[in-house]
Amino acid sequence: MKIPRILFWFCLVTFLAIFPLVVKTPYFIHIFILVGMYVIFALSYDLSVGQVGVLSLAHPAFFGVGAYTAAILSVNYDFPPLLCFLLGGILAAVLALGIGIPSFRLSQHSFAIGTLGFALIAELISRNWIDLTRGPMGIPGIPRPTLSIPYLFSWKIDTLTKFYYFMGILVLLGVGFYHTLATSRIGRAFRSIREDEILAASAGVHILKYKMIAFISGAAMAGIIGVYYAYWYTLVSPEQLSLYYTTNLLIIVFLGGRGSLRGIVLGAFLFTALPEFLRITPQLRLILYGIILLFVVLYFPDGIERILQRLTTPKRIISAFEKE
Amino acid sequence: MEIFIEQILNGLTLGSQYALVAVGLALIFGVVEIVNFAHGEFFMLGAYAFAMVYPYDGPVPYPLAILLATAIMVLFGIGYERVVIHPILDKTWHMQIIATLATSIIFINSAMAIWGTTPITIPTSLAKTTVQTAYFNISYQRMMVFGVTALTFIALHLFIQKTKAGKAMRAMSQNREACAVYGINIRKISVLTFAISSGLTGLAAALIAPLFNVLPTMGILLTLKAFAAVIMGGFGRVSGAIYASFIIGLTEALAAGYGHYLNIDSAYRDAFPFGMMVLVLLFRPHGLFGKRVGI
Repeated sequence: MKIPRILFWFCLVTFLAIFPLVVKTPYFIHIFILVGMYVIFALSYDLSVGQVGVLSLAHPAFFGVGAYTAAILSVNYDFPPLLCFLLGGILAAVLALGIGIPSFRLSQHSFAIGTLGFALIAELISRNWIDLTRGPMGIPGIPRPTLSIPYLFSWKIDTLTKFYYFMGILVLLGVGFYHTLATSRIGRAFRSIREDEILAASAGVHILKYKMIAFISGAAMAGIIGVYYAYWYTLVSPEQLSLYYTTNLLIIVFLGGRGSLRGIVLGAFLFTALPEFLRITPQLRLILYGIILLFVVLYFPDGIERILQRLTTPKRIISAFEKE
Repeated sequence: MEIFIEQILNGLTLGSQYALVAVGLALIFGVVEIVNFAHGEFFMLGAYAFAMVYPYDGPVPYPLAILLATAIMVLFGIGYERVVIHPILDKTWHMQIIATLATSIIFINSAMAIWGTTPITIPTSLAKTTVQTAYFNISYQRMMVFGVTALTFIALHLFIQKTKAGKAMRAMSQNREACAVYGINIRKISVLTFAISSGLTGLAAALIAPLFNVLPTMGILLTLKAFAAVIMGGFGRVSGAIYASFIIGLTEALAAGYGHYLNIDSAYRDAFPFGMMVLVLLFRPHGLFGKRVGI
């Protein structure tokens, strides 16, 4: 079983690597970049929602902090992009620490509402702190980044294909980070908290510490992908902090299956690519998203992961479980 | 002085609005143990329902229009309980939150598709006529808001304390299994709770919508402020939620009126409820008026 799985991922990566060389349509490349963005964004969200089981609704704030960091620093102060990536991640992590300290005193519902309150405050600030963020107009004209380390290398990302490969690298790093974290000792601690917080605590798992690790590392990932978004889209506005992103993330994570890497990757692809091809008006799209989300939660709470499990698990094992 | 009284009146109006919404949230959380993220959208839909039965200061008399809007929202609440809440009752709290969040998205965007995104106003003659005193002006509409809100809370209090159904609601908030053992129809009480909560938002909308603009996204902040009130009041405690709503409303109005002395732009007034909520959560996680519960 081990070898075919590696073969599968290898084929997927190879396919994605040669994709822009074969398909030259900018539209498709754009969509694949968007898929990559949502893969990382959703994985970073899943660290707290899927792995630890705390339902944070503040995630777009971290993405927004990253995006605004890049926009302000590179437009006003001409900071080198690599430093922006670093700072975007760090600032998002610091914000997560600030939000996490009061919010983790809350349990379940209250935590969700408290973090939602922070997300709204962040959006209010981005709309109203005109001197810093230019308010609802947003910050346009973010320059194309040049990734460089003096004397070592310099890579100017000025074409769509280069953005595509840069996103590819980020996705590999993001997936690698998520997978390493989830399969490590820390990941086991995460899931023990998700399954039973009291039991985990009595087994010596430091609840707050691990919740914070998941929350902060997820925020840093979201911040970094926010920086990427700023460079790619060249415009950052308060929309980037809106509840709209929370909905998208919830749909991807729940559609894919919480805590499942392959489910979320597939979920991000289905969620991002399908509506682009269906081409419906934004309002109807959101109604449809709402209905999909409701439907998934009510009838397929384990998402695509469950279907994948059914496909990859031998029949006799399934029937043995169903007999119980 | 005039500004001060005016801001206090504004604060009380806002407080009434938040209280009528927050009470419903607190009831639903206390009795059915569901966090209803779509509650602000109930208010929004109530406002549109009111706009439909009372579009131009007519055709029906205003009191009848209030009753109609309330009745529509009562029916809506019952439908909502049957379609959305009933299937998620036995699911985990994650699922419950996301299901109500999803319905709130559906409501907002359906309202946009039906009524458009431009804000509408619902004029009433009561809102235009004002009483002038030495220090301040107050419209009849506002006076009616205060009066009806107070009466509603008294009626609600009596209902919950004295009637059999109210006692069943209180019992259910304490122990659902024991209620079932004693033959209380849990299903009926849950429907009743949603009918009352939703009806209250309809009433609030019919009273307060004439004072503000009505638009499809108006419910989002309202839900959160009502949540802030519910959290500050101690989760699931009805009276606590009412007090906290008025505290929030007054703070917000005073921040809008006097914030510029402290260099706070009035655009940040909406941040105050959440800021206060965070402070309360930091220092009194079980709320201003709540007792310590849970583990």
